[in-house]
Amino acid sequence: MDFNKGKLGGVCEAFLMCYVVRVGVFVRVTGSYSKYGKKLTFTALIAFVGSFFLPFFVFRENRVAPPLSVKLPLPYTFILVIPPLLLVLSLLVSKRRLSTVMLSFSGTLSIILATLILVSSGSMHVQNFLPLGRFSPTSGFYLYIIGAVVIFVMKPHLNLWDYIGFILIALSFIVLVGKESLSHLSLTMEAKNFGPRLTRELFAHVRITLISLLVSGVVGFPLALLSYHHAKFKKGVFLFLNLGQTIPAIALFGLLIAPLAALSHTFPFLRAWGLKGLGNAPAIIALSLYGLYPIIRYSYSAFENLEPSVIDSAKGMGMSSAQIWRIVRLPLTTATILNGVRVALVQTIGNATLAKLIGGDGLGVLVFEGLGQASTDMVLLGMLLIVALTLVADSLFQLLIFFATPKALRSRHG
Amino acid sequence: MVKTKPFIILSNVSANYGEVEALKNLSLEIPSQRITVLIGPSGCGKSTTLRCLNGLVKPSAGTISYEDQAIKGLSETALRRKMGYVIQSVGLMPHLSVEENIDLVPKLLGYPRSSRRERVERLLNLVRLDPAVYLKKYPHELSGGEAQRIGVARALGGDPPLLLMDEPFGAVDPLVREQLQGEFIRIHRKLKKTVIFVTHDIDEALRLADYLVVMNAGEVVQAAEPEKILAEPKNEFVDKFLGPNRALKRLTLFTADRWMEEALIGKETFTKEYPGCYWETDQEGHPLRASGWVEGRFIEREIDTDAHTVQKYSSLRECISKILTLGLPATAVVDERGVLCGEVRFATIQKVSRS
Repeated sequence: MDFNKGKLGGVCEAFLMCYVVRVGVFVRVTGSYSKYGKKLTFTALIAFVGSFFLPFFVFRENRVAPPLSVKLPLPYTFILVIPPLLLVLSLLVSKRRLSTVMLSFSGTLSIILATLILVSSGSMHVQNFLPLGRFSPTSGFYLYIIGAVVIFVMKPHLNLWDYIGFILIALSFIVLVGKESLSHLSLTMEAKNFGPRLTRELFAHVRITLISLLVSGVVGFPLALLSYHHAKFKKGVFLFLNLGQTIPAIALFGLLIAPLAALSHTFPFLRAWGLKGLGNAPAIIALSLYGLYPIIRYSYSAFENLEPSVIDSAKGMGMSSAQIWRIVRLPLTTATILNGVRVALVQTIGNATLAKLIGGDGLGVLVFEGLGQASTDMVLLGMLLIVALTLVADSLFQLLIFFATPKALRSRHG
Repeated sequence: MVKTKPFIILSNVSANYGEVEALKNLSLEIPSQRITVLIGPSGCGKSTTLRCLNGLVKPSAGTISYEDQAIKGLSETALRRKMGYVIQSVGLMPHLSVEENIDLVPKLLGYPRSSRRERVERLLNLVRLDPAVYLKKYPHELSGGEAQRIGVARALGGDPPLLLMDEPFGAVDPLVREQLQGEFIRIHRKLKKTVIFVTHDIDEALRLADYLVVMNAGEVVQAAEPEKILAEPKNEFVDKFLGPNRALKRLTLFTADRWMEEALIGKETFTKEYPGCYWETDQEGHPLRASGWVEGRFIEREIDTDAHTVQKYSSLRECISKILTLGLPATAVVDERGVLCGEVRFATIQKVSRS
């Protein structure tokens, strides 16, 4: 039953650990399980109870119409009471095993039920306002979901029932998408509005991020190496980096406009390459500069933290300088260096949103156009996509780091 | 016994760390196939001397000439591959398994793959670690003593004629240290390498050294056989460094196997004048009981292997401690399987210490 034992389970767990600090992991240190169960239930219950006092969802006749909040029909409210009830019962049941299943089930059920109720009563309300009517979840729904999240996050370990629950949740979403039940959700309507532009901006975002990251890596890694070998050089590099970090991202974007414009004005061939004051070029330059910091910092400290005795004995046994790099230094530092790249990646995906401000592409287009049109849904859509992109990129990188780390060191780097 | 051909000759070598003068005009001859121990207080330049030999420190003046045919005229990296290097912090590669660690130098030397595995196993057996258990282990799974044994095995990987050892047993507890020293003597007798051993522990130095070099402030104070240094310390510094209990210290110079005598096994009674014990063993030959005459009384004792027996390469000092614990006129010498192979008598030790 215990998922942590298997290799795959270990990878999954390591993955989840990256995003949430499992509060419950420390329960063995801080107190007994039964006491902890009470705390968990109580925290989740606060969220659940609170959600009943807030509007569950709103609907609008069209994109610009004012939102109309609706009272949830009584039967629906009763259905929504089931998961919190199950949660309380799980505390009262004396059988440990049954209690565990009920706890997992209450979390899964709350997410599935809340979504189903949102979709069914939402679709019912927009029925009279087709094709422009739309509904969106509000604070009540979100707080309810937070209740479920609390259950999963506070648990000491995810068990088999939790993983089954996740599969059920995923399945129910697939079914909902398949039946087009989500098509009148305001987010979906907004995404549809954008049509092919949405994918284009998404790809632009990825492209800008990857190019910037590549530039930071190609420039940053040699700089880290030079800093490691020459103390004087290091001082200069880190002074520059620290200064760079103090300039706000938006300011840096703006600062680059004037010099680049002047440059492309003097050398017209630069313009042909796309290098000008506005657009993606200054954005990429600014993002690369920002990405330098984590890459150089992590690589440098990776080299710096190598144990001198290891290098000493490598030299002493007659390895050439190149062999020391290949056999000793690189394998021992890969994980830390890649972690620096990972930090740069996550940061760049976020900062790339600002590219829109100086005429660049990317998901920032959604966010800032949404702000301009006072369309919360559009902003939300952009943000959700950025968050999803970050999570996916980060997960893939975690996996890469896991496999790039020598076996003996994996447990230590997590 | 020290008079063998010189392996390396250092003449007027000086070395600096920035402003600090670590070695001043040091001249030294390292005898072939012997254990040369460099000893002195910390900062006396003993480690620097070692690091000059394998080129990790470049001397600012003087010459180091490698006299032996095996290492004459080699490039720096080639030279290092012919010198096993063992350091106090071991410096095993944390990402490589025990097998890969020991295999590093053979791999650098381009030995064929087929012979390397067997070579690693032989080296593990030499340092008394079971290959089946240790080959696939990683350094973080080893105890300090085990790691140091692997360190020695790794240094021997390329079958180097010379071993450089920089306080190799300094970081392990005293009990394990004594064990490792014994093992090291055994390995040295078997392989006959030239060894340069740095330590600040006078007991360790006396026990291991064929040729002892006492250093202070970057200079050689006295270099001779340990027995000679114990008998005639050149000046007050050496005298102080050797410390009190000179007679007891002298006993560490000798190993049990050199002074061991045949052990009488069986129930025959012997006269009160017989200076040894008589031993009772089990079928495999492990000693079970010992008896003998002490001040006119016949005493019989049960043998506890750890408390009452010594190994072939234990020092006479250990022997005397075991004899006193046992309370009989001799102690048993056992081999690595614990089989009785002789006895060291109190009378013998007295004779050695008077000589």
